[in-house]
Parts: sequence; C-alpha cells; structure tokens
Amino acid sequence: MAAVTLTNVVKRFGTFEVVHGANIAIADGEFVVFVGPSGCGKSTLLRMIAGLEDISGGEIAIGGKLVNDVEAADRGIAMVFQSYALYPHMTVEQNLSFGLRMNGNPKADTDRRVKRAAGILCIEELMQRRPKQLSGGQRQRVAIGRAIVREPQVFLFDEPLSNLDAELRVQMRVEISRLHKELGVTMIYVTHDQTEAMTLADRIVVLKAGNVEQIGAPLDLYDDPANRFVAGFIGSPKMNFLKANVVEQDQRSVTVELANHGGAKLKKPLCEALPAVGTEVVLGVRPEHFFEVGEGDCDIPVKADVAEHLGSVSYVYANAGAEELVVEREAARQRASGDHFTVSIKAERSLLFDKTGARIR
Amino acid sequence: MRYRNATAYRFLTPYLLIFAIFWIWPIISSFLISFQATRTLPWRFAPAFNWGRLIGDPAFFNALKNTLLILVIQVPVMISLAVVMAVLLNSPLLKARGLYRFAFFAPVVVGEVAYSAVFRLMFSLDFGIINKLLNSVGLEKIDWFSNVTPAMALIMIAVTWRWAGYNAIIILAGLQSIPEDVYEAATLDRVSKVKQFFHITLPLLKPVIVFCAVLSIIGTMQLFTEPFLITERGGPGGGTETLGLLLYRQGFRSLNFGYASAIAYTMAGLAIAITLVQLWLMREPK
Repeated sequence: MAAVTLTNVVKRFGTFEVVHGANIAIADGEFVVFVGPSGCGKSTLLRMIAGLEDISGGEIAIGGKLVNDVEAADRGIAMVFQSYALYPHMTVEQNLSFGLRMNGNPKADTDRRVKRAAGILCIEELMQRRPKQLSGGQRQRVAIGRAIVREPQVFLFDEPLSNLDAELRVQMRVEISRLHKELGVTMIYVTHDQTEAMTLADRIVVLKAGNVEQIGAPLDLYDDPANRFVAGFIGSPKMNFLKANVVEQDQRSVTVELANHGGAKLKKPLCEALPAVGTEVVLGVRPEHFFEVGEGDCDIPVKADVAEHLGSVSYVYANAGAEELVVEREAARQRASGDHFTVSIKAERSLLFDKTGARIR
Repeated sequence: MRYRNATAYRFLTPYLLIFAIFWIWPIISSFLISFQATRTLPWRFAPAFNWGRLIGDPAFFNALKNTLLILVIQVPVMISLAVVMAVLLNSPLLKARGLYRFAFFAPVVVGEVAYSAVFRLMFSLDFGIINKLLNSVGLEKIDWFSNVTPAMALIMIAVTWRWAGYNAIIILAGLQSIPEDVYEAATLDRVSKVKQFFHITLPLLKPVIVFCAVLSIIGTMQLFTEPFLITERGGPGGGTETLGLLLYRQGFRSLNFGYASAIAYTMAGLAIAITLVQLWLMREPK
C-alpha cells in the first residue's frame, strides 16, 4: 500500500498543454476517482502516474518516493485498461501468470498468486479459456485478476466499465468496491460517469480542461460544489441553472429575481461577500430540490413538456424553448406532457453562482 | 427470390461465359492433355506416356530439387526479413515513414525485364558493383553466372529483394492491428521489448505470416522470371532450372504440351500439399 502525491503536474503534447499543474494528495488505502468530461485530462493523469506517459513538469511520488524517472514496471502499480488489454492468444491462466513467468518468478509462488486472484474474482472455472471465449464482464474480471497477481501498492483503473452493459456495470461496480475493502490497497479510478464516481469513491477529483476543479468526498461535492461546473457535473439529472438578478441586499442576504419565471423572488442568506444590487447571478437548483407549492420560499409556475416515469422516480422536463428545467419529485408521477403546475424552491436547497461560474456562499 | 436470382445470373452470363472458356476449360483441357502423347501428331490417349516419364526424368527431378531448395531457403529468409522490416517500419522513431513504405513496395511495380537487367549488371563478373564491393573488402570475385551455387544464391537474392518489401507491407498491416494497450500491459508487467516481440507480436502475427508464407510458396513453385532472365534460362547447364522453366521449355520450345501439362499439375499439387502441411503445422490450438 502507498500514498500517491501529485505536485504541480503538467503534461504537454508538443506545445499543447493538456494538464495544467495538478496538485492531488491521495492517502494510503484511499479510493480516489478522477472524473470529468471527455478530453479533460483524467486518463492522461492516470497514465502519467502509471509511467506510460512522460511528465512534462511537476512531481509524482508513490509511497513517498519520487517516480518521475522510474520505469512503469518499477512503480509498484498495476493498471486495468478500458479495453481489458488481455493477451488474445493466451488462456486466462497464462494471461494472469504471464508477467510473473517472464520475470522468472518461482513457479510455486506464481501458482499461488494466480490461484488467489482467481479465487477472489470467482474465475477458477474460466482458467483454460481464451479471451474471445469470455463475456465482457468475465474479461474485465481477468483484467483485474492480472492486476491483483502483481500484488501492487496502487491499482489504477482506466474507465474499466465503459464497455459493459448497464446491468453488468452495476454488478462490476459492486465487485470493485468489495475488492477495495478486501485488499485495502490505494485505488485510482478514472471515469466520465459521475454515478460510478459517487458510488465508488472515498474522494472524487473533478477535472475540466486539464484543471482540477474540486477534490472532495462524494456528498461534499454534491452538497457544496465549488463552482457551477462541479455543481452541474455531479448529480443526475444535472442541476438546473436559473438566470437571476440581485434586486435587494441586506447585511446577511440578497434577494434575487428570477427573470425567466415571472419575476419570482427568493431571499438567499449568504455568509461571504454579498453581490451588489443589479448583479447578474445564476441560481442552481437540483431536480430533486423542487418542493410542493408553499413548502419553499419561492414558487414558480412550469409547463411540463415530457414526463419520464422510471418507477421509483419521475422526471418532468419543463419549459422547452425558454429556461428549461428538470423537476424530480413524488408529485411528478401524476404529471403528463402539457400539464401546468407550480413548484417551490427553498433558499437553503439552492446555490448561487456568479457570471463566471464561481460559487457565491 | 428465384426470379431475382435468374435476373442476376442473366447479367452475369457474359462474365461466366468468358470465365468458363478462358479459365475453367484450360484447366480441364490441360488435365486431359496430360494423359495424351503429344510429341507427334495425331495426339493419342496414353496415360503412362507423360506421367510415367515424369517419374524417371532427371531434368524433372533437377528442376524439382532446385525449386524446393529455393523454397526451403529463400521463403523463410524472406519472411523473417519482412517481419524485421515491418517492425522497423512500425517504429514510432522512424521518420519519413511514407517514403520507406514506398521504397519497400517499389520492387513489385518495377518491370521484370528491367529489374533482371539491373541485377545482371550488378552481379556481372567484371563490371558488377557487387564484385567490386567484394574486392574492396579483400574478397575474391564471384562468377555468379557460371557456377551453380552462386547462381542459385543470386536467384534467391533477387527473389528476396523483389518480394520482401511486399510481404513487409502485409505484415505491417497485421502489426498495426495489434492494440497498443496490450504492449502497455506487458510493459507494466516488466516484460522486455525482446520478450514482447517473441511472446506477443509473433504469436499475434501468426495468421498474417502464414498468409504470406502460403503466397510465397505458391509464387516460388511457379518461379520463372528470375531463372529465365537473370541466369539465362536456368543456367549454368540447368543448374537453376525450376519447374516453371521446365514447363516452359517442354510446352513452348519442344511443343510437348502433354508433358508440360503433367508438370503443371505436379506443381499445383505440390503447392497445395506443402500449403496444407504448413496450415496444419501452424493451426490454432483448440
């Protein structure tokens, strides 16, 4: 087991900088998820930790040891690839033992490690099959098994569940979580799926265009996002953003007017510097934080365009063509396309952002 | 569906007729001719005449020996060379990759007569650059065209020069189909580049290499141009005569079409047999 520290890590491809000075400290045994949209640099960051990409600037330390110039194989890490990267001409057993055999590891120890990994992942009966004879989930198990036999200090996962169907993804997610508890090893996991991030991580690192936007526990990011990007990225369906103007200010709060919702007003208590009257701001409300009329501090009328009933939850997509909203609540079960109804916003369950997207607290 | 099929076949008829007349019929016809005595007119049915002669003909066995010798030495050397060339072409360190690919493929598109003439000049006893190079490093000149062993070596060198690049391009396509992350996984497993080549690249290239080997075996069994043009009709004294050349000599110089047909069928049979053995040896384990 080992801690991983990234200090001002920069990556350039030619003159194009894709990671701009990332600072991340991952504790020993922690499960950290790098999440962000495509092209945000999360896989590049992971590959730099693995040693598969050179580091253009900054420092990476694993277990307190600087590894910038250490070969990938000597960093004490194991990586699970998105495409599994299994050796297609080898059986499962050969895939698991290949690295150890090539390095002259004693046969008894190799057999022990392979057997242990197969036992952990329940793939004992697949040992003589080749990758093409396995399902996607089984291949992913073998890929994880190959990482386990290395007995690494750090596990790296590069979007390992992207190629699996929805049901299998949930199943494998649970297995990876169980694996982390069982092995207690540091794990770094890259995904663009915020559900995976929320369910697996001890802490999440949110990335956007090569910058670390926020690092925190899943619920901290959900409840207390640092900016509009994190607020929008964490949570599904994503947070609604309503244009607003500051119309009143007192010592500890501002009143904002929702221009696109009939001039509805909401008084929002704040604890930091207050925006001036007339400032354009954005009010963030999660779909699940709309309440029944009168339950909140500000009522707004909406017109349902599409209603999605998923059984346990219903979503209403409203106000197409104007400021679109997604509303999730128990009462949405009764709503159908074309319905007019009113929802209520609570000041304490809404967030305020300035025009640049920074949070106003 | 049946009507649609009939319409399709009506459109195909002109092609099928030409295919039948110029492809199917010559194959059947030459098979029938191989059972006829064709040295004198009129031709007569005599099954043992050609096939019997084949078994006891020293010229046939000489050509067979030469062909098989070229096949056994040249094909493995050329395929190995092609693999090395393909790996070099695939290297990310290589600059002007397109130029190299063109250069490797160019020998295939150069006219056979032109390339043979250049090879004759290069290997000429007195004026050839090869002998000059040998002299310059203190080695004796080699008379490439008057001695059997150098002449055979010359044929093998020429065929390798002409087809190694072609095979390298095919193998390169195979190399590029191997996913990069397989090598990355091996790198993380601390597997050296050399071991990666032998334990990952070569096994994954096996189908492509088998394909190239089969093509080369078929090509070598029919080898004609080089011994005809470079070593002047299989010289010295039939020392480089191949089955293809013997077939030509019997069919087009002696006009003994029956015997030429028997040789042609023997060549085809041998190519099929060798290819089948090779495919069996290189089969995928169940």
